[in-house]
Amino acid sequence: MEKENSIRLNIGPVHPAMHGVLKLILDVKGDTIIKAQTEIGFLHRASEKIAETRYFANYYPIMDKLDYVSALNMEILYASAVEKAANIEIPARAVYIRTIMAEIQRIMSHLVFIGSFGEDIGNMTGFIWALRERELLMNVVEKISGGRLAPMYICNGGMFYDFPQGIEDDILKALSTIENKVNHEYNAMFTKNQIFLSRTKGVGVLTKDMVKKYGITGPIARASGINRDLRKVSPYLAYDKIDFDIPIENDGDTYSRFVVRTREILESIKIIRQCIKDLPPGPYKAAVPWIIRIPKKDTLVKQESPRGEMGVFLVTDGGDKPYRLKLRSPTFFAIHALEELLVNIRVADAFVIVASIDPVMGEVDR
Amino acid sequence: MIFNYVYSIVSAFVFSPLSYIVTFIIIAILAVIVTALIPVFIGWVDRKYAARIESRYGPVYVGPFGLLQNFADLTKMLGKRFISTNIDWLSFNFTPIALATASFAMLLIIPLGGPGLEFISIPYSLLFIYTLLAISPLLLLVAGWGENNKYALIGGFRGAAQIISYELALIVVLSSVALLSGSYSITSIVSGQSSIWYAAYLPVTMVVFIIAGLAIIEREPFDVPEASQELQAGWKVEYSGIRYGFFLIGDYVRVTVIAMLVTYLFLGGWNGPFISGIIWFIIKTAIVLMIILTPRWVFGRPRIDQLIKFGWNWLLPLAVLNLILVELLVVL
Repeated sequence: MEKENSIRLNIGPVHPAMHGVLKLILDVKGDTIIKAQTEIGFLHRASEKIAETRYFANYYPIMDKLDYVSALNMEILYASAVEKAANIEIPARAVYIRTIMAEIQRIMSHLVFIGSFGEDIGNMTGFIWALRERELLMNVVEKISGGRLAPMYICNGGMFYDFPQGIEDDILKALSTIENKVNHEYNAMFTKNQIFLSRTKGVGVLTKDMVKKYGITGPIARASGINRDLRKVSPYLAYDKIDFDIPIENDGDTYSRFVVRTREILESIKIIRQCIKDLPPGPYKAAVPWIIRIPKKDTLVKQESPRGEMGVFLVTDGGDKPYRLKLRSPTFFAIHALEELLVNIRVADAFVIVASIDPVMGEVDR
Repeated sequence: MIFNYVYSIVSAFVFSPLSYIVTFIIIAILAVIVTALIPVFIGWVDRKYAARIESRYGPVYVGPFGLLQNFADLTKMLGKRFISTNIDWLSFNFTPIALATASFAMLLIIPLGGPGLEFISIPYSLLFIYTLLAISPLLLLVAGWGENNKYALIGGFRGAAQIISYELALIVVLSSVALLSGSYSITSIVSGQSSIWYAAYLPVTMVVFIIAGLAIIEREPFDVPEASQELQAGWKVEYSGIRYGFFLIGDYVRVTVIAMLVTYLFLGGWNGPFISGIIWFIIKTAIVLMIILTPRWVFGRPRIDQLIKFGWNWLLPLAVLNLILVELLVVL
């Protein structure tokens, strides 16, 4: 029901500023939002059900399309779950390559965030610059795996191909360019830009209590002062052998969410450099048959995706396909905080706040 | 005077009563060509410049260096089908025509780089240009209402609110320049700067004028009414085809006019040593134009309340303060 003196704005699922197919139903009084509802499910593809009809090794393409901005993280997550369930030990080189690929994908994902965030503030140049830097890493991923957005690189027991010759130099070159741009150009464009500061500081404050109430994780939680990163809390892959920091901000506004992600890019660069230095020789893949049977057990694996804690709960019954696969996606929880965040703010701020959550609807709707 | 010049040529070939009519026709054709070429060229400059900032190419294919891209775009817009539902027909169709006419009329009145190089010379040209600039909030409201769309309505109201809050600063700035020179005619304002530019007297006023001018023409970072992110295209959302093309070309005309005005009012217009006046004018206008075009690609978009607060709290007091200073200067 439309209330008196208020306009109901249906924003999305098709809207230039919406990330994917999120729909916002805003009751607007003047220029202030008095009630906000979110509507999700426009991209529901029954990913969890599809898992029950596929061999363990055949589910990777679907994982790619879950969080299509960070496809490699999804692949690595699923591979870890299957390998944990089937007790497959992967070689040390595969662990390091996976760590490198996960961090490359994290940088790419955060660059997309920076770009789309700038674009939602009205800064088209920031968007194009961020995608320009992402392209460098895209080329690296293409050289390694043959794919760009959905690489299909990881498989049970390792990965499909080893690193090509001399790819380390390409990666390091791309990283130093990105580090330079993030430290200088992005500072000038974003964090030292008065209009950007006035649009983001103090907007959409997410308190610690709200973060805990909604179960939000990842950079959004870390921007609210919660020091929790699965790479440190329960290290997986090679993260326990690598020295890196977890960026924390305490304000919980959109600005700190931006800064946390920017600093995470720099930390990821640090991780990749160490991994490339320590990259052990040897096999890149354990010998695992295409069709495997996993005995009856429940397996839970959680990893830090660029958007937060992504989890896979795998129930197996001794067959060659999962009995049940449950995905825990981080943005799904963050989206629900929007209903509280978007009240009593201006219409223009709503888009900044949605952008700061950095939702990927493929992962929310699954 | 263009008219006298053309008339003197025409009267040598055509006898008296007819020569007036022929001159008028020639002037009209000339005016259409010149006023159409300027915004299209400026549009190309804007697109190329933006492309350089964003490290991409911009238009390349149509014409040399993509110079004719905007003609191609406008031609394409002419062929578009008219799509609309439940619009208010009169206000919907009247607005683009009125806005484009108001924009092009400014180019007829403003001198194009030299004394007497204007199509219509009137003694109050500055005031008239201000009037043409100030029509837009009314047109925005009419368009926003006529489109029968929530986004358009919000955009129209935002636009009216923004422009009204910056218009005052603009008229105060124009008045202070007019006070200093003692005239509202652009030609005499420029000739008043033959020894020293008004920018030396009024540096703050120049900055205020550029900012207020950007806000009036809704150039980014002041494009809140047509915010493409939150309001899709604001009050332009239902427009398509050549109606949208009118807005587009009108925008470029007004950007050009603001750049020209800054040159005329503060930077001495066509005054300059050694080389001819029109080249000085082109150099100055090009520099000012680049400065005006840059913020769009570098800054984001402020919120509407921040924008209006900035207009009332900073620009208007600064402009009034400068007006008082100028008055003291003139009196003493």
